[in-house]
Amino acid sequence: MNNKGPKVIQEWYKRKQWKQFPFQKEMEATYLAGYSGLLNAPTGSGKTYALFLPFLADYINRYPDTYLSRQNNGLLMLWITPLRALTNDIRKAMQEACDELGLPWRVMTRTGDTSAAEKAALKRKLPEVLLTTPESLHLMLAQKEYPKVFKNLQVVVCDEWHELLGTKRGVQVELGLSKLKVLSRLQLSESSEQLDTESQKPKVKNKKAAELIPANQLQIANNRLRIWGISATIGNLEQAAEVLLGNDFPPEQIKMVRANIQKRLEIESVIPPNIESYSWAGHIGVKLLPQVMELVAKSKTTLIFTNTRSQAEIWYHAIIDNYPEYAGIMAMHHGSLDNELRNWVEAALHAEALKVVVCTSSLDLGVDFRPVDTVVQVGSPKGVARFMQRAGRSGHHPGAISKAYYVPTHSLELLEGAALKQAIQNGIFESRDPMLLTFDVLIQYMVTLAVSDGFTADELFKEIKSTFAFADLRREEYNQLLDFIVSGGKTLAQYDEFLKVELENGVFKVNNRRVAMRHRLSIGTITSELSIRVSWLSGGSLGTLEEGFISKLKPGNTFWFAGRSLEFVKIKDMTAYVKKSKATKGLIPSWAGGRMPLSSQLSAVFREKLDEVAHGIERDIEVKSLKPLFDLQAKLSHLPQSHEFLIESFKSKEGHHLLFYPFEGRLVHEGMASLLAYRIAKIKPASFSIAMNDYGFELLADEDIPIEEALEDVAFFSIDNLIADIQSSLNANEMARRRFRDIAHIGGLVFTGYPGAQVKNKHLQASTSLLFEVFNEYEPDNLLVRQAYNEALAFQLEEFRLRMALQRIQTQSIVLKTIERPTPFAFPIMVDSLGRERLTTETMEERIARMARNYSVDDDNLPAEKRSSKRKPGITRKKGF
Amino acid sequence: MTMSAGTPFNFLDQDLLLLPQKAIYWHQQNALILTDVHFGKVGHFRKAGIAIPRNMEQDDLAMLSDLVYEHKPEKLIFLGDLFHSDMNNDWDWFVLWRSQFPQLEIILIKGNHDIIADEHYTTLGVILYKKLVMGPFVMLHHPLADTTQAHAEGYVLCGHIHPGVHMVGRGRQSITLPCFAFAQNQAILPSFGRFTGRVAIVSRKTDHVFGVLKDRVIAIA
Repeated sequence: MNNKGPKVIQEWYKRKQWKQFPFQKEMEATYLAGYSGLLNAPTGSGKTYALFLPFLADYINRYPDTYLSRQNNGLLMLWITPLRALTNDIRKAMQEACDELGLPWRVMTRTGDTSAAEKAALKRKLPEVLLTTPESLHLMLAQKEYPKVFKNLQVVVCDEWHELLGTKRGVQVELGLSKLKVLSRLQLSESSEQLDTESQKPKVKNKKAAELIPANQLQIANNRLRIWGISATIGNLEQAAEVLLGNDFPPEQIKMVRANIQKRLEIESVIPPNIESYSWAGHIGVKLLPQVMELVAKSKTTLIFTNTRSQAEIWYHAIIDNYPEYAGIMAMHHGSLDNELRNWVEAALHAEALKVVVCTSSLDLGVDFRPVDTVVQVGSPKGVARFMQRAGRSGHHPGAISKAYYVPTHSLELLEGAALKQAIQNGIFESRDPMLLTFDVLIQYMVTLAVSDGFTADELFKEIKSTFAFADLRREEYNQLLDFIVSGGKTLAQYDEFLKVELENGVFKVNNRRVAMRHRLSIGTITSELSIRVSWLSGGSLGTLEEGFISKLKPGNTFWFAGRSLEFVKIKDMTAYVKKSKATKGLIPSWAGGRMPLSSQLSAVFREKLDEVAHGIERDIEVKSLKPLFDLQAKLSHLPQSHEFLIESFKSKEGHHLLFYPFEGRLVHEGMASLLAYRIAKIKPASFSIAMNDYGFELLADEDIPIEEALEDVAFFSIDNLIADIQSSLNANEMARRRFRDIAHIGGLVFTGYPGAQVKNKHLQASTSLLFEVFNEYEPDNLLVRQAYNEALAFQLEEFRLRMALQRIQTQSIVLKTIERPTPFAFPIMVDSLGRERLTTETMEERIARMARNYSVDDDNLPAEKRSSKRKPGITRKKGF
Repeated sequence: MTMSAGTPFNFLDQDLLLLPQKAIYWHQQNALILTDVHFGKVGHFRKAGIAIPRNMEQDDLAMLSDLVYEHKPEKLIFLGDLFHSDMNNDWDWFVLWRSQFPQLEIILIKGNHDIIADEHYTTLGVILYKKLVMGPFVMLHHPLADTTQAHAEGYVLCGHIHPGVHMVGRGRQSITLPCFAFAQNQAILPSFGRFTGRVAIVSRKTDHVFGVLKDRVIAIA
C-alpha cells in the first residue's frame, strides 16, 4: 500500500511547526485502515484537523503522482455541523490546508444562508469538500438527480454529534446517512460490474476508469463510504456511535478514537456577600454584577454565559448602565442576533479587541477563542456536560488552566455549585438519549424523496429500518404513513381533492410544483415560532424576534435588543422597523423555548449534598455560606435527610398550598404534580394550579386539599397505573398539545409561509393547537397524534425518571409539616409563575361559577410567561381570520 | 339531533335566543344568525397537501341542518366567511345541503374569506350584502372601530374575530370560552365552524358576555 499521504501530512505539520497530537496520529492510522466510527474530542482540541488531514492523506495515497493536479474530483467529503455559523471558520481552515498542500481543491459551504445562485453553481461544479447542516443535506436530497451529487463521496463527518444526538435533527442525519450508504453501495456494485466488463475487454477506453481499477482491486472495504462522528464526552458514547452508523454497519469496521485530553479546570462559585438578604427566588442573578465585574477586570477576556437570550440582554444592559467604561470593549452574542453582528463579535474576540462578551449557548460550539481566560456561568447550567463544555472555552494556551465561575441566581441555587464540583470530580457525564420513531421527521423525509426522484415502498422501508431511530418501525405504521401522504389519512369521501404525493407504477412522487415548493421551504424551518426580522428604518438588520413579542408593541414603544435601546416604528412584510432611542428604560424581549430541567445526574449529586447539609457536614464553601438559610428552613419546617421526603402544607388567601420536594428536575416534577393532583382529586373533586422548579413543586387549590387522607393510601406514590393515571389527568392532553406544535410543523401540517409570500397563504394557516383538537377528535389513532402523546411522556414528563423518583419516594419516610409562611425551599417555587399548569376534575359549570371574568384579557394560546402581561383595551385578533 | 337549550336574551326589545351551537335565533324576524362557518377550509387545506380529517365539515353541516329543523327559521343570515378561500369540491356538499331547504331565505354578508365568484351564491339563491340593516340591527362582517361605531345605522351584529372570553379564579385557575360579546354599540358572535380558532377579546364591565359551553350558553358576570 502506498504511504505517501501520511508523509506529505507530516511535512505539512513540520512546516507549520505544529505537533501532531497522539490522538490525531491514532485517528490517521484508523482512518487510513478504512474504519468508520466516533472521535471523542472536546471542542477546540484540533478535532477538525484530526479528521480532515487523514482524509487528505488517504486521497494522496490514492493518487500519489497526480494529487497536485487532479481537479473536478466530484464531492468527496461531506461535513455536517449543527450550526451554520460554524461552517465558515472550518471552511477557512480546510481551504488553507488544501492550498498549503498544493491540492487544487475547493472547500465550500451549503447552508440556509447560501444564495440560490451559489447553490446552482455548486450543482454545476461540485467542490471536493462541502460543509452543510442536517436541513441542507435534506434539501440536497430534495433535488432531482441527487444521486449524481454523491457519486464520488468517500466520507461523511458529523461534527459535534453530541449536540445533534437526542434531537430530531439528529434523526434527520440518521435518515440522510441511510440514503448515502445505499447510494455508496450502489456505486460500489456498479464500479465492480464495470470492472468485470472491462477486464474482459483487452483495451481500456477510459483513462479515469483505469485509474480507479487498482484501488477497487486492492480493497473494496476501503472504498465503502466512511462515516465519522465527532463528539464531546457524554455518558453514552458507544451508543452515540451506534446511532450514527445505523444497524447495518459491519461492527468489525467501527472504531472509537478518544482524545483523552486532560485539561486543568478550576471552578469557583461566586458567593453572595450577604446570603440572608440575597434573593430567595429569581433567575436573573444580576445582583452579583459587582462580584462578576471584579472577575472581568482581573481577566484578559471573559465570556459570561447565560441560559436564555433575554437574560443575556438583561446582563448586557446592566453592565452598560453600571460600567459605562466598558462601552466599546464588550459585546453580546446570541442566536437571534443577525449573522453579521455575530461574525463581528467572533472576529473581535479573536483579535483580542473585547474584554467581555455576554453570550448564550450560541458560543458553546465553534473554534477556540484563544484570548478567553475566564468563563462565568450565570444561573444553573442544569447539567455537568454543558458546564464542562462552557468551562472548556477558556484557557487554550498550552498548559493553561480553564477558569470557570458559577453565579447562582438565587440562594438555594448556590448549592448546585457544590454539586457541580462534586460531579466533575466524580467524572459524571450526562447521556444524550437518541430519539426513536419520530414519525414527523419520517413523513418529512418521505415527502423529500418523493419531491426529488421518488421512491418505492419496499426499498425505502428497508433503508429506514437500518437506522437506529426506526429499527422498530412496523410495516403497518409505515403503510399508515404512506397512506397519510398519498390520500391524506383515512377517508372514503368522494369529491376529495387531497394532493400531495402520487403513486405511479409503484413509485411515490410529488408532481405538483407548488406542493414541491412548499415542502422545500418547510424543510429548513423546524422552529415553530414565527420570527420577525428587526431592521433599522435606514436599512440594516439586527436580528429576529418572535411575533408574540412584536405584536404587543405599539409605535413609539421602546425595547432593548442586541444591546441597544430601540424605538419601534412600524411593522411591514414580516419586518419590524426600529430607530435608535435615547430612553434608558424599555421592555426586554422574551423568546419561547423550554427551560432545561436539572439533569438526573446533577440532581442525584444535589440530593447527596443536601443530605450532607442535613447531617451537618460542612465541607464545601457553598454549604458553609448557606448555613443561615438552611437553619431557617430547619426552624420553619424541616431539613430532609436522604431517607426522608418533605411535604409542606400552608394556607393563604389564594387557597391551600402543598409543596413537595423530590429534587428531581422540573419536568419530573410537572409529571408527578399532575399525577398526585389527579390521585387527590379522586378523593374529592378539585381544581389545581401547579407550579414547579428543579427542586420541588406546588399544588394549589382554592379549597382545602385532603392531603392526610391521600397519604394514608399506600398507593399514593405508587407506580401502578402510572400511565393510565397520567393520561387521565388533563395535563397529558395539554402536554401532547404542546409537543404537537413542532410535530405539526415538521410533519407538514402547518405552512408558515415565508417573507414576501402572497396573502393567500394566510388562508392556509391554522394554529397547531386547533389542528391538535381536530385530529384528537376525528383521527385519534393518527401516528402524529400518538407521537405527541409519546413525546409528552418521554420528554415532557421524563417518564423513566418519574418512575425511578416514585420508587425512591416509596422507600422514604414522609415528613408532612404545616408551615405558617413560605420556607426558603417553598418560596422560589411559589413565585415562579412561569409554566404554571392546571388540572381539574370539576365540571365546567362548577369552575365557571367560581371564576370572575378577566377584563384585561389575553390569548389562551400565549406561553405562560406572557400570560400575565396586560393589554390595553381594544380588540386583539389573530392573523389569518 | 341535538336539543339546544339556548339562553333567552331580550335586547333592544328584540327576543334573541343564544344557542350553544354558536348561533342566535331572532324571534321577531324568525331568523337564524351565525358567522364564520369557514366551510371548505378542510378541502382548501387538503388540496394543498395538508391532511386535515374530512369528517369534521360534515358535522358542521349536520349541525346547521339540526338548527334549521329545530327552529324552522324563514331566514338564515351568515355574517361572513361562509366559504373559505378558493373554490374546491367541498362546495358540492354545500350545494347538496342547500337543496334540502329550498324555501329557506339565505343571506350572506360577505367576509374577507368569501372570495369565490358571486354567481356561485346567486345560483343557489343566496342573497349577498356588504351590509344589511334589519330592525334595530346592522349586519356586518368586520367589527367597527370604537370611533366609527357612533355613525352606524343601528346596533352592529358582526363576526370575523372568533371571540373568546377569558376567566380567572382563585388558586390561579383560568379558562377561555367561545362567547357572544354584546358591547355598547356592537355585538360579536362566536365562530360557527369547528375548524376555526378562537381569540380572547377585551370586554368592558358594562358589556354582556355569554360563554358557550358544550350544551348551553351562560351569562358571565
